Amino acid sequence: MEKPEYNQAIVRSFVNWSIVWGLVAVLVGVIVSFQMIYPDLNFPPYLTFGRLRPLHTNAGIYGWGVGTIFALFLYIVQRLCKTGLWSNKLASFQLWFFNATIIAAAVTLLLGYTTSKEYHELEWPIDVMVVVLWVAFAINIIMTIIKRKEEQMYISLWYMMAAIVGVAILYLVNAAAVPVSLFKSYSAYAGTNDANVHWWFGHNAVAMALTAPPLAMFYYFLPKSTGVPIYSHRLSIISFWSLIFMYLWTGAHHLLWTPVPDWIQTLAMAFSVMLIAPSWGSVINGYLSMNGQWQQMKENYLVKFLILGITFYGLQTLQGPMQAIRTFSAFIHYTDWIPGHIHMGTLGWVSLIAFAGIYFLVPRIYGREVYSIPLANLHFWLVVVGQLIYSVSLWVAGVMQAGMWNAVNADGSLTYTFMETMVEMYPYWWARAVGGVIYLAGVLVFIYNIWMSVRKGQPATATATATAAAGSAGRA
Amino acid sequence: MNPSALLYLGITFGLFVIFALIVLRTYKHKNKERGEAPKFSMLDDE
Repeated sequence: MEKPEYNQAIVRSFVNWSIVWGLVAVLVGVIVSFQMIYPDLNFPPYLTFGRLRPLHTNAGIYGWGVGTIFALFLYIVQRLCKTGLWSNKLASFQLWFFNATIIAAAVTLLLGYTTSKEYHELEWPIDVMVVVLWVAFAINIIMTIIKRKEEQMYISLWYMMAAIVGVAILYLVNAAAVPVSLFKSYSAYAGTNDANVHWWFGHNAVAMALTAPPLAMFYYFLPKSTGVPIYSHRLSIISFWSLIFMYLWTGAHHLLWTPVPDWIQTLAMAFSVMLIAPSWGSVINGYLSMNGQWQQMKENYLVKFLILGITFYGLQTLQGPMQAIRTFSAFIHYTDWIPGHIHMGTLGWVSLIAFAGIYFLVPRIYGREVYSIPLANLHFWLVVVGQLIYSVSLWVAGVMQAGMWNAVNADGSLTYTFMETMVEMYPYWWARAVGGVIYLAGVLVFIYNIWMSVRKGQPATATATATAAAGSAGRA
Repeated sequence: MNPSALLYLGITFGLFVIFALIVLRTYKHKNKERGEAPKFSMLDDE
């Protein structure tokens, strides 16, 4: 069969830019963690916590998260379909429009333009840019899948299509707004409806941007790295469809104990608990794929990233449903427990899979072997330790905070004032900042390693470009 | 039950039926080989 012409250049560009935005996200995250400890580090009006925090989340989710989705999806879709992209020009447009959108988002957020909706802060002109960007991406991926040379679709393609369709629907519905000026709009919904629609978007953005895409990547890069197929393709298909059926009902678990109708809260709670099954279907599939291959955890640094990543996904998808239960939510909601939970997902699950994907791609898109596997191992340990310090310290902080908020005296009055509970948080905020600095150090090691791979890496061997020898990829 | 509640229940039940059919089709013994084929073909030469 004639070898298809793959577009490597566009993948390379998206990898480069997603790394840039990833560095911005982590750096700003570390800065805001220190602003919590030293309020004097707030420099109004542009560099305050209130403006930098959404910059951190947007750079993380849309710059690093979506950037790596673009990079790795554009790589994977060509291989799984055994054909080049439907349109290289559209992919180039997507690259530059992506960067223009992220820059526009960063500038407007620092200038204070915001819808005030968490994870959907961007005002309507940038919403329009996001929609154009996503449509360009969607057309290219879907058309490439349509013209594929492989009859049957591997599981990664299913997750990719779900992510594309899911994000489009969620974003369009939640973005519905009435513009009153160039940078000010009001939501099309009001009151509890607005809250309900927003958290339907908010939680399912996690599903369609931070769960389905990393699963697509995991199912692709794990077998490619080990050289052994996944345990069961049929199990992956069932996990996929059950995830799709269940996820979209769970958003209202963010609104437990609010004026949102009780039955919606109960529905969200029930579906959140049911979601353990499909999530763990993928976790178990990943673990069983390692049967007879566990020595690769020691020998192959890519496998370490991937298996720790899916492990964090497993933990995340147990902790999440637990938080969605009314009684537990009443205890930990609004405490520092929640950022601990979110960062296990973003720093642990999503980023570990993305790091593995990028390392896997290095010889294939730059034509150079990874410069230093010991540095890749150092990167691994720094980000894992940094993330654990971050999350564990905030879980402890959250339980303590909740305990203090709920403590009452014999006469029913509160035992602690709010300020007293805040003062007790300082040691944990320090631990969070230290965890963040360690994670940042890991990211810097990663960037240095990639940079040196491009500059001084050994020329990629045939093994790097031939999947038949993928089992040797990443062997330490 | 009012019509909107019935519609809601009907859609939920319909989705469940579709899901059950997907499970049955995927795990039908006849489809085993075909269902597992993509995990091998994805390992082919790039």
